[in-house]
Amino acid sequence: MKAFATRHKQFIRNSHKSEDYFGFELRTLAKLEPGLKFLYEDWWKVEFKNLEAIPDEGPALIVGNSTGLVPWTALMLIYALMSRENPRRVHVVCDMDWIEDERVHHFLRELGFVPWSSDNVKRLLARGEIVATFPEGIASTQKTFSQRYRLGDFDWTRLLSAVEEGVKIIPLATLGLDEAVPVLFNADKIAKLLNMPAFPVTPFFPFYPFPVNLFSLPIQWKMSFLAPSQYKKESNRDKVEEQAKSQARYLEGEIQAEINRMLRTRSHMFAR
Amino acid sequence: MVTWKSIQTSLKDPLKALEERNPSYYARYAGVEDEFGFDLETFAKWEPVFRFCYEEHFKVRVRGIENIPSDGAALLIGNHSGLLPLDGAMITMAMSNHHPAPRRVRYMVTDWFFTLPGISEWMMQTGQVRATLENARKLVDCGELVGIYPEGLRGVGKTFKERYRILDFHPGFVQLAIERQVPLIPVATVGGDEIFPNFVNIKTFAQMLKMPFFPVTPAFPWLPFPLMFIPLPVKWMINIHKPIKLDYPPEKARDKKLCLKIAREIQYDIQRDLNRLLKERKSVFTAWTEDENGRSETP
Repeated sequence: MKAFATRHKQFIRNSHKSEDYFGFELRTLAKLEPGLKFLYEDWWKVEFKNLEAIPDEGPALIVGNSTGLVPWTALMLIYALMSRENPRRVHVVCDMDWIEDERVHHFLRELGFVPWSSDNVKRLLARGEIVATFPEGIASTQKTFSQRYRLGDFDWTRLLSAVEEGVKIIPLATLGLDEAVPVLFNADKIAKLLNMPAFPVTPFFPFYPFPVNLFSLPIQWKMSFLAPSQYKKESNRDKVEEQAKSQARYLEGEIQAEINRMLRTRSHMFAR
Repeated sequence: MVTWKSIQTSLKDPLKALEERNPSYYARYAGVEDEFGFDLETFAKWEPVFRFCYEEHFKVRVRGIENIPSDGAALLIGNHSGLLPLDGAMITMAMSNHHPAPRRVRYMVTDWFFTLPGISEWMMQTGQVRATLENARKLVDCGELVGIYPEGLRGVGKTFKERYRILDFHPGFVQLAIERQVPLIPVATVGGDEIFPNFVNIKTFAQMLKMPFFPVTPAFPWLPFPLMFIPLPVKWMINIHKPIKLDYPPEKARDKKLCLKIAREIQYDIQRDLNRLLKERKSVFTAWTEDENGRSETP
């Protein structure tokens, strides 16, 4: 905790100002921080472009792509925003209803995850917080290696609360996770038995005992914030919904196009 | 169904064979003068070859062919693929054989193909046109169905790892559509990127031979002449979207920002559709079902 306090002085100062309503706990994050640091800086060597696109003050919605059951993208995003010059806390909104284990649920909430609902997003944005969402939703957990870097349909309802208020929407393209954790196939039947949305079988999961099954390949990640999307704030309800739908389509396309561009410039999978 | 016998008869008298098999197409284009050198006889001669590819080799399935109007100009916008651009040929086949009112598609082709002796003639006779804005305008004014691949030559030379990843569209087609008030019809093609799996592109050779790219595939350039051009029997799906009418006055065609934005939106639409189709596909070599309802029956 002490080492964390010296390293992230500014973050602690800033995060005290922000919302704790959903059960954020600095201690838990501090405990996890060395692990995140290792992943971010040494293992995946995340190259984060345009990190300053997130404003130092005020609300913003980050919209990204993600894969798999473990929210690695979100964790890397939390770490990136925590260790940048003007650190900010990010509230990751995601589906958590299927998690039956209370301890896991609490643990995620202590890190800054928030169960998804429009009201929660609205509350956070009204307080001027940064909210991240991965609008592919549950479908993204079922993606396999053959569908790597192909986005599923974006759920427009996840953008609704932001579009209503005219909040800045910033797309985030992430390259790396789909290959770092290669999902060989998705065992539907086991998933059904365990009441999980998906049961991804990777070369490591579920064959090895606990910490080893979360192992991943040392792929270099590329994350980048794209230009915030321009849209008009509407007041008519129908128009707002129309706007959210078109924004969802547009953002999905933007992120997919950026990922295509990144893939094209990369020479091979393990390229540094 | 293409049989050896039907190929033989069509070689003897291609025009007559076409007239018997596809009377409405023949009636529409027989004896029509064409500024760009379309020649029905050459078309009739080569049509069986591509029809064989369409029906037997690739087993192409088409969704939404009824979205293409029977008359009047329209722009077909697609994702380009597969070294030898067979995707255009397959859509031409679909239009001439499976549309209620058969039509030809005039594809806009890059200059490079017209520098090749022999090929350039043949391209023009089968209905392709050199890609310039002037030509496109003329074709649209004649009420033709114009096919454009806004990725251009870069799209054809995609390597295998980039399959079904659309490169950024050139916005010229939107400019044309707004200027001449014609509808845009996006077309997503799955299959084309895997017929010639292109592993590397040797740029030095390409420069030496003045080719746009020099691909290395499992067959090219290892096998002797005709064999290296035989495509893999990948099963194709062509999904034709609903026509998009752009509600802008013709003056807006100069608005580059607007054109780029619309081009991006259409690009994203096609990419999303490709992602969806690829998710639906069981394997590269399993034939597709035509209707989307077929998907819901099998879990």
